[in-house]
Amino acid sequence: MNYSSFFTPADGQALAPVFIVAVTALVVLVADLFERGHIRRYVNVGLGVAGLVLAAFVEAQQYGHPVVAFSGAYIVGGFSVVFGEIVLLATIFSLLLTAGVGRDDQVGGSIALILWSATGAMLMAGASNLMMIFLGLELLSLGLYALCGLGERAVSYESALKYLILSSMASGFMLYGMALLFGATGSVALAALVDAPLSGYLIVGVGLFLVGIAFKLSLVPFHVWTPDVYEGAPVAVTAFMSIVTKVGVFAVLARFAYAAVPHHRELLVPLWILAGFSMIFGNLGALAQTDLKRLLAYSSIAQAGYVTVAFAGMTPSGLRYAIFYLTAYTFMNLGAFGVIALLSRHHDEGSSLTAFAGLSGRKPWAAAAMTFFLLALAGLPPTAGFTGKLLILASTVDAGYVWLAALLIAGTAISFYAYIKVIRVMYRHEPQARGHHVYAQTFLPWISVAVGAAAVLAMGLYPFVPSDVLPLVK
Amino acid sequence: MMLIPALVLGPILLGFATLLIPRRLERTAKGYAIAVAFIVAVATVASASSPDASVRWLSRPFEASFHVGWTGIGYWLAVLLAIVTLCALIASRAPRLRNFVGSILILEGTMMGVFATKDLLLFALFWDFMLIPVFLIMIAWGPTVVNAWRYLIYNAVGGLTLLLGTAAFGIAYGTTDVIGRPGVTPLGDLWAPWIFAGFALAFLVKTPVWPLHTWMPDTYADLPPPVAAIVSSVQSKAGLYGFIVIGIPLFGNAMRAAGPLMFVLGLIALLYGAFVALIERDTKRIVAYSSLSHLGLILLAVFSGSDLALRGAYVYLVAHGLFSAALFLVLGYVEQREETRLLDRLGGLGTRNPRLAGAIALSALAALGLPGLAGFAGEILILTGLYRAGYVWPAVIALIPVVLSAAYMLRAYQGMMHGPPVADLPERPDLTWTEGIALAPLVIAFVLLGIQPSPIANVGSTPMGVQHALAETPK
Repeated sequence: MNYSSFFTPADGQALAPVFIVAVTALVVLVADLFERGHIRRYVNVGLGVAGLVLAAFVEAQQYGHPVVAFSGAYIVGGFSVVFGEIVLLATIFSLLLTAGVGRDDQVGGSIALILWSATGAMLMAGASNLMMIFLGLELLSLGLYALCGLGERAVSYESALKYLILSSMASGFMLYGMALLFGATGSVALAALVDAPLSGYLIVGVGLFLVGIAFKLSLVPFHVWTPDVYEGAPVAVTAFMSIVTKVGVFAVLARFAYAAVPHHRELLVPLWILAGFSMIFGNLGALAQTDLKRLLAYSSIAQAGYVTVAFAGMTPSGLRYAIFYLTAYTFMNLGAFGVIALLSRHHDEGSSLTAFAGLSGRKPWAAAAMTFFLLALAGLPPTAGFTGKLLILASTVDAGYVWLAALLIAGTAISFYAYIKVIRVMYRHEPQARGHHVYAQTFLPWISVAVGAAAVLAMGLYPFVPSDVLPLVK
Repeated sequence: MMLIPALVLGPILLGFATLLIPRRLERTAKGYAIAVAFIVAVATVASASSPDASVRWLSRPFEASFHVGWTGIGYWLAVLLAIVTLCALIASRAPRLRNFVGSILILEGTMMGVFATKDLLLFALFWDFMLIPVFLIMIAWGPTVVNAWRYLIYNAVGGLTLLLGTAAFGIAYGTTDVIGRPGVTPLGDLWAPWIFAGFALAFLVKTPVWPLHTWMPDTYADLPPPVAAIVSSVQSKAGLYGFIVIGIPLFGNAMRAAGPLMFVLGLIALLYGAFVALIERDTKRIVAYSSLSHLGLILLAVFSGSDLALRGAYVYLVAHGLFSAALFLVLGYVEQREETRLLDRLGGLGTRNPRLAGAIALSALAALGLPGLAGFAGEILILTGLYRAGYVWPAVIALIPVVLSAAYMLRAYQGMMHGPPVADLPERPDLTWTEGIALAPLVIAFVLLGIQPSPIANVGSTPMGVQHALAETPK
């Protein structure tokens, strides 16, 4: 290796969006020192969103111009741009929710931590060697450990500790798998796996690596941490975690499946089976929930299953539709969390079902928006959830995985009850149900709700996926 | 050019627009909704020869378009929908009336979409979409929540198999823009039975057909009368409409293979519905079970392979829509007056409410197939078609419920209107002008259709006729 070219201008250019986000976090922290009172949250969120928009703009310039940086450790191109943009989008939404619900003096710090976590997910989108994947994953998780505890409730601390311990364990599995993969090929580059002969090291290494992936995606049976952690974390952090972690890990999974082990498809079959379990058991788990955050946690288990199903068969169209569904899920899930944030204050989060009782009478627009997002999550028209599910079904049937398509249908059928239960609570006029009447102090969550609803409708009617999305390894 | 898309989107958007009317101006909201529904009705009737409108939706993994236009029977069902919606809105009386009439307009738009769409994927979209307003109405205005769930779960699961079938169809066929398209060829045999099974399940649940009917009587009983009228008269036709415009042209072989099973299911529905209606005590449920029976007859016609029977089915689809809407509306009037629907608690209303009695009698006579009214025209065409196609015994068995329908309809009428007056029933005014006006278009339509069914029966070529013509052309 030529050490004089260890950090070339091209490398810097490839990492520019990540740098911008990381520096924005510093700017927010410094600016936070000079502000007092209520204005603080608006300035902080304004700076954060401005930095993210700038990063998104810079990232978009990289589309169609693949760059191999750091001797193949980090590859920027259509694939990483698409996943990176979803991360940036979800982060913008999360900042709006943080600033809408969090405490005045915590907003700056939360925003900085969220931004740093986002850089981890962005690195994962471009990571094409095992070290880079791990670096991105840990960077993403470290911020989240702290963020989960911000709720200042007992469940919140429990959530942070649970996430720390279980997530570290999953990282351990993954790291061990990586070590075995290194043993099998003698290299940390994903490219080395392409032509690696099938060996015991490779099989066990891939297996452990996939266990780590399944844990981070909370696929059944590695999902048990999800409801508790989602419930305890502050609503904005839950929203962030439910999207950004998944986007990052899906990027890793897609690159691994499509580019690193295309010749050993059979190694990934266990993952498709887990996806099938997730769609059924995730939705079954959602049935009995009376807390919206827990319900959305179980929902996210099932939704992760839907996206994983799109990868089965490893067809290019499957990847495109997975990206479409992931983007649609970003909007509908963050929209739903936005409505929860509308009914929340720092210490009093309106995530229990009682907070939604009779909402259509009190806040008809919020109830209508929530209905729309829940219909989207259930895959009913006229939403992006419907179109996305149709596309995934079509590509899965096309790839020959009809049993997965059937499981997807069965899971969706189960999920109707879970989601529509909430709609029922909002629209049923039951005078004895005195909901708690807490509303957000700011209008900021409304932005995410409105943008989310518009996007879910538009994506349902005009499904659009960029064409240059196949991942590379080098 | 844009008339048909406007008929679909207009009611949906204008339905949401009722939210802009202040909540307390209930009469204004109702007037606005009636005006919208009236314009939609006139425009629908006038749109008979409007051209299709089409915008590309997907190009991969298969082609799909936002393609709307009329198929022969689709146009008449849309006209039926527009008339029934107008009548239902005029008859609407509910708490929170603004939201109620808005929901009805949205429901009208989604169902208009089902009948106007010429793309399978768009059909699947509207198929699921039209469940949502009904579910929300049952949640917000129905007496219990359980039945709303049953309605939604049954129908949405049907919608999912329809969606899976649509996805598989698109992959196998390359395009879903196939409804009512001239020269469309049936799907190859490898996939067709499975895909057809997905579609058929959705259609059978929606119609409904025994043994998938259990959601139906409770739903019709729980829905507020105007919405029950719309759902029973128009929404229940969507499944049969699907068999006609999707099943016959695209799944000819699978339809023939499924024929015997469907004949059995249809005959069971015919007899079972009629017998239950004969002993049921709740007036609304009597009409619900009579619907089950009548729609079983149409199922026979659709699967008979006879062009004549299918033309009869066209007439009967519209006729059943008209008289079942009228029946649900008048039963709603009775329920609103006497606060009960049970036959043993009602009685002797006819002497005090002659106009109401007349309205019920007329609707019931149409339902039992009195010659000269619309029900008869449809029944006789279907039975003749079945007989001519060689289905002698099914035609004979299908006659039994036709006789029974006279028994249960007259029993319901007698139970409400004749006999000694029940002492503790409150005295209420007779049929009001508004209520009468709400019924008038329906009554006029089923009288006219009974005298002259040919505009619907001779709608041009039917999918069945096209199939016969294809079979007869030398290969």
